[in-house]
Amino acid sequence: MDENSQSSASIPAKPQPKITPWAGPLWQGCAEGKLRLPYCNQCEACFYYPRLWCPQCFNQGLSWQDVSGKGKVYSFSVIHQSPLPSYQEDLPYVLAVIELTEGPRMMTNIINCEVDAVSVDMPVEVTFEARGDMKIPQFQPTI
Amino acid sequence: MSNPVAIAAVSEMKPGRYPDKSGFDLYLDVVRQFLAEWSVKPSDIQGLLACPSGMAEGGSNDIFVHEQLYEELGIHPLFADTMNAGGSTYGLMVQRAALAIKQGVADSVLCLGAGKFPKVGTGGAELMARMVSHEIYEFPYGTFIPAIYAQVASRHMFEYGTTPEQFAEVAVSSREWALKNPDAVMYDSEPLTVATVRGSRPIATPFHLFDCSIPVEGGAAVLVTSELVAKRFSNQPAYLLGMGEYHSHRNIHQAPSLTNVGCRYAGQQAYQRTGLTPSDIDFAEIYDAFSVNPLVFMEDLGLCEKGKGGEFFESGASRPGGDFPVNTYGGLLSYGHTGDASGMSMIVEGARQIMGLAGERQLNKADVGIVHSYGGMMSEHSTLILGRQA
Ligand SMILES: [Zn+2]
Repeated sequence: MDENSQSSASIPAKPQPKITPWAGPLWQGCAEGKLRLPYCNQCEACFYYPRLWCPQCFNQGLSWQDVSGKGKVYSFSVIHQSPLPSYQEDLPYVLAVIELTEGPRMMTNIINCEVDAVSVDMPVEVTFEARGDMKIPQFQPTI
Repeated sequence: MSNPVAIAAVSEMKPGRYPDKSGFDLYLDVVRQFLAEWSVKPSDIQGLLACPSGMAEGGSNDIFVHEQLYEELGIHPLFADTMNAGGSTYGLMVQRAALAIKQGVADSVLCLGAGKFPKVGTGGAELMARMVSHEIYEFPYGTFIPAIYAQVASRHMFEYGTTPEQFAEVAVSSREWALKNPDAVMYDSEPLTVATVRGSRPIATPFHLFDCSIPVEGGAAVLVTSELVAKRFSNQPAYLLGMGEYHSHRNIHQAPSLTNVGCRYAGQQAYQRTGLTPSDIDFAEIYDAFSVNPLVFMEDLGLCEKGKGGEFFESGASRPGGDFPVNTYGGLLSYGHTGDASGMSMIVEGARQIMGLAGERQLNKADVGIVHSYGGMMSEHSTLILGRQA
């Protein structure tokens, strides 16, 4: 890649998630500053990511629930080299899988902290990052 | 198993960079080399399985590649398909072929693979990154392949106290074997040390550059047959004693566990179907896109205690002259990772060790070997147990 072409003006925007029709409340929640997950009334449990049925019991009668947004780092990596043009400015960044108190795991970045401060099992909480005209869930150390 | 099935013949191109060849050109080279090395007649190939070779090129135009291949060969198979399960494609091909042979659908099935990697700087790495993660719920966070596998390594470190130096030992061991394999891309290189691995450029903690496999291009052919047909090709075919598969997730954040992966369940099925136990196994060929993988899979296959994979590799047992050789051809870490065809290399080597065709690196004891491969982000798993006695 021609490094000179990567002036700050030409850095592409980070990916903006596509909103599927059955995931609307998740993204509406993010816009309101709430982590809102699909909830199965039969299993009495939330799951992630939004699907047309509950992956535990196939129930299609689903509702939505605002969850605590708190959890722990399940695993992580500090990224020093990335093939993704939109993430070059962020290097080094943290890619992590977090486990919510309610159970489901989510892919996320750990933001608003030094990358060396991140560890497995560290308590984290949700925060929201703007991507274009929408917001996406991100996680930061619990304050 | 009743109606014994065996790998009767194997052939693999020397891995390297072939910039002027398309994926299909590589396929033709694989077939030409296979036909030249083994005296195969058209009637010897009753079935054919192949995999699209263009994934890493960024778009497969060969999703029907088996059709073109059987036409080029001039055969009319009774059993044929194009299939893809990433790195586990060829393990699963051997399993599908064995089922067809046991069922009497065909006496012989030729499994073929060829793979290319994208040219550096063409955006191929980004395309691959997009392909291996959930487009909506993962890719927006900057996922790509080493960063995803690093999650497995970090969790293992947390649960079992495994160290980055112990992951590096896996790469050190593979390099020692590659120095004995003239076909390995690192054959002419120097031995690795833990310090060299840790001193190479950091990619995604805990991985440094030499914790990652080497992208190259190539391909291979594996002929799976009934015992009767196998005996025509070799006095010592590699009998397929047991097999198992398991598919647990596609996207890494959905994996039920990062330290007990689908390998464990595929392995359990393979053992159960043979009546063999881990203590019967002489050596292992384990898919190793990253240094962490053989370490976790040794545990999941019951070849060492859970959590002791690091100690196992640190002990030197996996290296030439060790008690339990692993990745005797150099592994994807030092032999080379041939993209869409990478899942072939460990099957070819496992069969060669059983058949006594492994040259300078031939093991003294290779009566029973285990071959494990996985596809996707530790998503789907294939375990094969190969042996000298049906
Ligand atoms: Zn349910």
